[in-house]
Formats: sequence, structure tokens, C-alpha cells
Amino acid sequence: MTLVKRIFLQREYGVAALLLLMIAVVTAVDHNFLSRQNFLDILMATVPVAIVACGLTFVIVLGEIDISVGSLLGLTAVVLGLLTSLDHAKQPVVVGVAAVLVLGTFVGLVNGVLVVFGRVPSIIVTLGMLTALKGLMVILMNGENIQNLPDSVRFLGTGTLVGVPIPLLVAAVVIAFSAGLAVYTPLGRRLYAAGSNPHAAELAGLSVRGLKLFAFTYTGFLTAVAALVTAPRLSVIEDSAGKDLELMVVTAVVVGGTSLSGGRGTIAGSLLAAILLGSVSTALIFLKFSAATYWERAIQGGFILAAVLVDHLARRDGETP
Amino acid sequence: MKKRFAHETALLALLFALLAYAKFTEPKFLALDTQRKLLEELWELALISIPMTLIILTGGIDLSVGSAMGLCAVVMGMSFQRGYPPALCALLALVAGLAAGALNGFFITRVKVHPLLVTLATLAAFRGVAEGMSGGASVEGFVETFKLLRDPVPALIFVAFVAIAAWFLNAAPGGVWLRAIGFNETSARFSGLPVDRLKLRLYALSGLAAGVAAVLYAARFNTAKADIGDGKELEAVTAVVLGGTSIFGGRGHVFGTVLGLLLIHETREFVKWHWSNEYIAIVLGVLLILSVLMNRFLGDGES
Repeated sequence: MTLVKRIFLQREYGVAALLLLMIAVVTAVDHNFLSRQNFLDILMATVPVAIVACGLTFVIVLGEIDISVGSLLGLTAVVLGLLTSLDHAKQPVVVGVAAVLVLGTFVGLVNGVLVVFGRVPSIIVTLGMLTALKGLMVILMNGENIQNLPDSVRFLGTGTLVGVPIPLLVAAVVIAFSAGLAVYTPLGRRLYAAGSNPHAAELAGLSVRGLKLFAFTYTGFLTAVAALVTAPRLSVIEDSAGKDLELMVVTAVVVGGTSLSGGRGTIAGSLLAAILLGSVSTALIFLKFSAATYWERAIQGGFILAAVLVDHLARRDGETP
Repeated sequence: MKKRFAHETALLALLFALLAYAKFTEPKFLALDTQRKLLEELWELALISIPMTLIILTGGIDLSVGSAMGLCAVVMGMSFQRGYPPALCALLALVAGLAAGALNGFFITRVKVHPLLVTLATLAAFRGVAEGMSGGASVEGFVETFKLLRDPVPALIFVAFVAIAAWFLNAAPGGVWLRAIGFNETSARFSGLPVDRLKLRLYALSGLAAGVAAVLYAARFNTAKADIGDGKELEAVTAVVLGGTSIFGGRGHVFGTVLGLLLIHETREFVKWHWSNEYIAIVLGVLLILSVLMNRFLGDGES
């Protein structure tokens, strides 16, 4: 395959090309775009999307979806705040971290159980979960922002280890682990097999139910991890935590080349798309597009539509990758 | 057929249980005046739930209706600010809704993308365009003309919507086609049904209903802002699924949706009345999941 064809047909290449193009254009206008600090800012802003996308890629590869991740991130952030804040329960950071991880994993498991054993479609389960968790979060917050997080908690979001911010380290570990899982382990290969043809996979002796249960639980766990490294970045936890995250993650995964009907898609693609989408708002500011903040969601939605349109046009020429 | 009635009976039983509980705990809640006043809250949701029923019957979904409401409201508000006559403002809002819905339909039928993905994208895009156009500002103080659209008008429009949808499902050939698409789209295509044309029209209709709902909302509160209709898509889907329509398509009816709407409405208002606003989200979320589980136990028959 020639490079041009690859760019159109293999989404990872297309997204990478688009990302490079955008960096080139914006840097030409303002070379500060490529500064170390700006680069770090963009990566840090991408962290929650990238971490959650690692789990959601598996869910979507299996032909399911999870749109409850935004609410779950908000809820786990609030629980972390309430448990550790000096205004509230004043628990040690270990307790907060453990509680959040257990809560996230549990919610993911409940999603999975309802989908697999309740045989309720995942869009409905996670839509209900999205609403319910959001409600629970509002009740827990009781109309007040959570302040006075202890330094040990703030360290999770703002600290550095050997000069690298902790959120980036955590994201790197999650990405490496998930990508390795997908490519090098039997579990990963089974995920793709079950996603591309559940019936055949079942006949071949794979437990599609078990795999789905795993994917939902893993996504819940990763959402909690994302909450741990993003919520403490600010000194206050507000009720806007996690807002619209599900949209950004689904966008990243789908723009990154994962097929909604299952079976196809890579962590690398999701990651590249997450960085692309995450840098759009910064790019707009560098391009002196002042109304950018108001148009951000329009641009994100437009991105998905453009991605599927390009995909459609590329495929119409009769070639499938 | 027997199984369908089982579902509707269950809904009615739930509704009566709720009202009975309300009667003991909050007698005032059931007073006619109260109920009449509370009903005003229902119509916008009710209007968008009817096209949603038809769309879900084809196995699709439209998550963008709430955002489309915001877009239509902003279109109406901004054209009002430019001094256009009120009727034209309302008309422009409806056109915007129709165009938004047609855009969904285009992507679903021509580009062949899953409705879930398309409308998730336009959920962001429509709201984003509304925010971008208005810069987050709201328009207030519509003229007296819009007061004409208050109290009985929304109810009448809703009844007309239900009547047309029921006629379409029961008496027009399109009603059977729609279910056929929901059961098996491929075989519907091979049978020569105009699948794409029908779907395109349904999504356009859904956008139009969002336009109507936005105009009514703006008339009721005398304000138009980009965040109008936030979360309405979830409530509409809940009402439809609660009403017994299978999320996989094929099975269900608008009458079920009417019951689902009533149950949601009474539940929401009672929770608000008896406890607090904050509990509504949890109750609605749990209700949605339970309603699908209930569908299963009452024999939704999905293989």
C-alpha cells in the first residue's frame, strides 16, 4: 500500500497526518505553540481522555458502548474529595485512593452485569448509569464545592517523579499496559475475535460474556484512575468534574479508527485522536480565534462527522483495509 | 398481544401505586389545580418523545433532540433580536429544527453511520453551534404574541402528534414498514421498502418536533438560551423504553409512550414535591434501567 492510500485507509496514519498538519500550521502562525510548556499543557489536558479511552476502546471493539464514564469520573472525584478533604472526613490518602478504585471498578462491574446477564443494551444501561451517578454526585456535594484537599492528595495531580508529572506517568503506564494487553496476550486477541464475530467466537469456545464483563469493569477501574490524577490538579472539586468526558472519549476512540460495530480499532489510534482533539482548543487560542471557547463543542461534534464522512468516501472506492 | 398488555398493566399498576402513595403522604399533590399546573412541565418532553418512539421502532435513536431544542431556541431568539416579526422567528426555529434533523438523517441514511454515533456527534455539535452563535447570552422579553402559545395550545399539539403517529402506525402502510425495518432492516430493503427515505423523514420530523418544543418553551418562560433542552433526550428515551418499545426496534406503540410519559412525569413531579430536586436524576436513571429489565421479564422476546 502506498503511503497516500494508507493515510486514507488506515485511520492511525490519517489522524497522525492531521495532527502533524495542525501542529505545522499553528506553529507557522505562532512558534510558541511548540514550546515545552505548551506541549506539556496539551498532554496534561489529554490525560483523562487518554486513560479512559484505553478501556473504552475494548468496550467498543466488543460492539458495546459506555457513556457513563463522565459521570463516574465526577462521582469518584467527589468521593475522593469528601474522604480526604480537611473540611470533611480527613481520611489518609491511601483510604481515599482505595475507595475510589473500588467504587470505579464496582460501577464498571455493575454496568457489565446488567449488559451481560440482564441483557439490557449497553447504551441504555450506561445512559441510566450516567443519569443516576450524576444525581448521586449532586446529592453528595450538597451544593458546595469541595475545598482544602491535603497536600498528599494534591501531589497525585500536581507532583512530579524524576521530573515527569505524575498524571503523565500514570497515563503512560496505563497506555503501555493496555496496548500490550491488546497485542501480546491471548485475552487481547480474544477481545478482537469476539468483537468481529461474537457467534464464531462463542463456537470457538470463547466466553464473550466474560470478555464483556472484563471490558466494562476495566473501563470503570480506569475511570477511577483518571479521577485520581485529574481531580487533585485543582484545589477545588466542582460539580463540573467529568462533564462531557464521555463525549470526548467516544469521539477519540471512534475518530481513532475503532468501528462502532466492533472488531476493529487500536489503542494507538485512540491515543493519537485524543491528542488531536485535546489540542484543538489550544490551537484555536494560538490562532487568535477569540470566540473559540463557545465554539469548542461545535468543533468537536464536527470532527466526528468529518471523520465518518472521510471514512465513507475513502471506503466507497471499493478498497477495504 | 397478551404480553403487550402485561407491560401496560404493569405501568398502570406502578402509576396507581405512586398516586396512592402520593394521596397518603401529600394530599395536595393530587388536587386538580396542582396537577393542571404541573402538566405544563410535560409538553416539551412529550412532543419530542413521539418521533423518538417511531425512530426507536426502526431500531434507531436520536440523542440530539435536546441540543436541537437549544439550537432552535437560539435561532428564534436571535432572529427576534434582529426585529423580525414573531411568526417569522417561530418559523425560522422550526426550519432550523427540520434542517438539524435532516442532517442527522443524511448521515444515517447516505453516509451509513450508526444513528447512535451520528446523534452523539450532533448532540455536541448542535449545542456547540447554539453556544457559539449566542455567545452564551440569553434573549428575553418576547412580545405578547407568544403568549398565545401558552396553556392549552401545547396539549392540543401533543394530542395531534399522538393522533397522527397512531394513525400512521395502525392505518398507513408506512407503519408496517417502520416495524419491518426495526425487526430486520436487510430483509426490509430486499422487500423493496423505501428504508432510507422513511428514516430520513423520521429524523427530520424529530428535529421539527424539537423546533416546536423550543418555541413552546421560549413562549412559556419568555426566554431563549443555548442550554434549553439539556438532558431532554435521555428523558425522552426513558419515556419511550418505559412505555414498552423495544430498544432493538420492531415492537412498541405510541400509546405505550403516552403511559411512559405519564409515569415519568408524575414520578418526577412527586419526587420534586415530596423530597427534593436533587433526587430526580437518580430516580430517573434507575427507572430507565428497571424499565428495560421489566421488558425482559414480561417477555420482550429478544432472541
